[in-house]
Amino acid sequence: MTASAVTAPDFSLPSVAGGPVRLADLCDRGPALLLFVSEECPTCLLTLHRLAPLVSELSDAGVRVAAVFEDPLEVAARVARRSGFAGVVLSEPAPYEVSRAYLLESLPTAVLVDGSGVQLGRVVGWDAAGLRTLLSTPVTDEPPLRKPGCAAKNTYDPEELRRLDGGGFDELEDMFERGWTDGLPVIPPTPDRVEAMLAGRDRSELLGEMAPALARVTLERVAACAVLAGCRPEYFPVVVAAVEAVLEPAFNVGGQAVTTQPCGQMLVVNGPVRGAIGLNGSVGALGPGWRANMTIGRALRLVVSLTAGGFPGRLDRSTLGNPGKIAMCFAEDEELSPWAPLHVERGFDASASVVTVLGADAPLSISDHRSTGPEELARVLGWAAAATWSPNWWPLGGTSLFVICPEHARSFFEWGWSKQRVREEMFSAVVRPAGELRWGETTPLVNAAADDQPVRKWSSPEDIMIVVAGGEAGRYSAVFGPCLGMNTEPISKEVQWNT
Amino acid sequence: MEYVSPFDERRRATEPLAPRPAALSGARVALLDITKRRGDEFLDRIEELLHARGAQTFRLVKEIFSKPASVEIVRRIADRGDLAVEGLAD
Repeated sequence: MTASAVTAPDFSLPSVAGGPVRLADLCDRGPALLLFVSEECPTCLLTLHRLAPLVSELSDAGVRVAAVFEDPLEVAARVARRSGFAGVVLSEPAPYEVSRAYLLESLPTAVLVDGSGVQLGRVVGWDAAGLRTLLSTPVTDEPPLRKPGCAAKNTYDPEELRRLDGGGFDELEDMFERGWTDGLPVIPPTPDRVEAMLAGRDRSELLGEMAPALARVTLERVAACAVLAGCRPEYFPVVVAAVEAVLEPAFNVGGQAVTTQPCGQMLVVNGPVRGAIGLNGSVGALGPGWRANMTIGRALRLVVSLTAGGFPGRLDRSTLGNPGKIAMCFAEDEELSPWAPLHVERGFDASASVVTVLGADAPLSISDHRSTGPEELARVLGWAAAATWSPNWWPLGGTSLFVICPEHARSFFEWGWSKQRVREEMFSAVVRPAGELRWGETTPLVNAAADDQPVRKWSSPEDIMIVVAGGEAGRYSAVFGPCLGMNTEPISKEVQWNT
Repeated sequence: MEYVSPFDERRRATEPLAPRPAALSGARVALLDITKRRGDEFLDRIEELLHARGAQTFRLVKEIFSKPASVEIVRRIADRGDLAVEGLAD
């Protein structure tokens, strides 16, 4: 430690707490300890970690502690949080004039400034004894007792500084410049990452040609999309099965990819692969929070929008789009469902892992905490779907997917109703005379019908698809808007993976 | 930086446009109804205007607007027509 009775240069730097902080703000009630650090310096991380427990003690003794990062604000915030550092956190941008004014040569450097702005001393690197003396407080004596740091960034040559200042190559920004994105940051598909995703599969294997670009969809391109989306390699078999499903002609992905409709390609996953890769079918199943859900759904959408050319605003002419076009993938909660799961209904063995893909609009939530019988609840659910697509478009002529929450499903089960019984009640309950439907957008069937002819929302109970998912508490189910006019059918494919 | 592209990077040859006819008189014009609502009304009017200019017309209907025309329809247009008009959108 060398004491130098010189005035500490003033500064004003952005704080992670919001707004600029000046040296005078830190010294207004007494001494301040300035801890100059950088994320890239291991000794800085050690120092932050070891001084973090002393921040509140020093504060009680009247010493404000501020970490001055030679890093961007978001980096400073992250490193401070991970270190448990609860002092003031500041970010110094390039070209690091504050560090230069403090004559820093290396990081970390701790500078103690008194209440009148005079430097009382400094410690360079991790030096337990030096810090103990400077701060007049016990400092851990865990080894290492001394550890040199790294060069301060103000000492870098101008070219290195330009790189740090964002003037150089940034691979995340490069992805945006290439257009290899859906508008969110992506993981760059480096050869190593794609290789890990492929896990030894034949990269040239052709899954099919996908409209609208009639692109050759190879495993390598699907793997590149899975990397971009943020998938882990163990998710890849589910992504591949989803792409195989979408490629079935009966799905008509080409029509869905270019339509003015809002529909996206939604995935429901059944079977043991759900647990193996952490796919959520429980609380918040249709929302964010689970990597497998978000990235598998996103990977499929990237195959459609990048590989196959259905990019929004270009060949994808969706008037409004919907958030499900970013990603929509969830698991059925087979364990909480009282009924046969979707894949078993669709002819697969219960032990199989299966992806089912549907063209679908956004989900509509259906709250019901009051129904006292199965007919009443089935009607609430069914009538919620009455306005999907358009209020008077009856019958829909397509599939409606209902996601029944566990509490609703359990009620039906306790009332003795099968899934088919629920489906049939919804089908027969949602009916109106044609005369009441003959305004706005309506169907040829309604236009040709007598006023008193009953018209149902669905052409048959089989147009109502039911899965169980969601948190154990709360009576909120949902119905997805349909994708119409595409002659699209839900498609299921078994996931080929190693159990 | 080396990356694996998610795109099908094949370069595709541009198909040249067929020569434009100098006049409609005597031309055989295919009118393709893609089954979008009221597309037939639009094509009815086009047909009247083409007939007034001395063209001959024939009508075809796609199975559904959201899927590509079948190979059979494309072949019939190519075999029998000099020109084609397709009624898009609602």
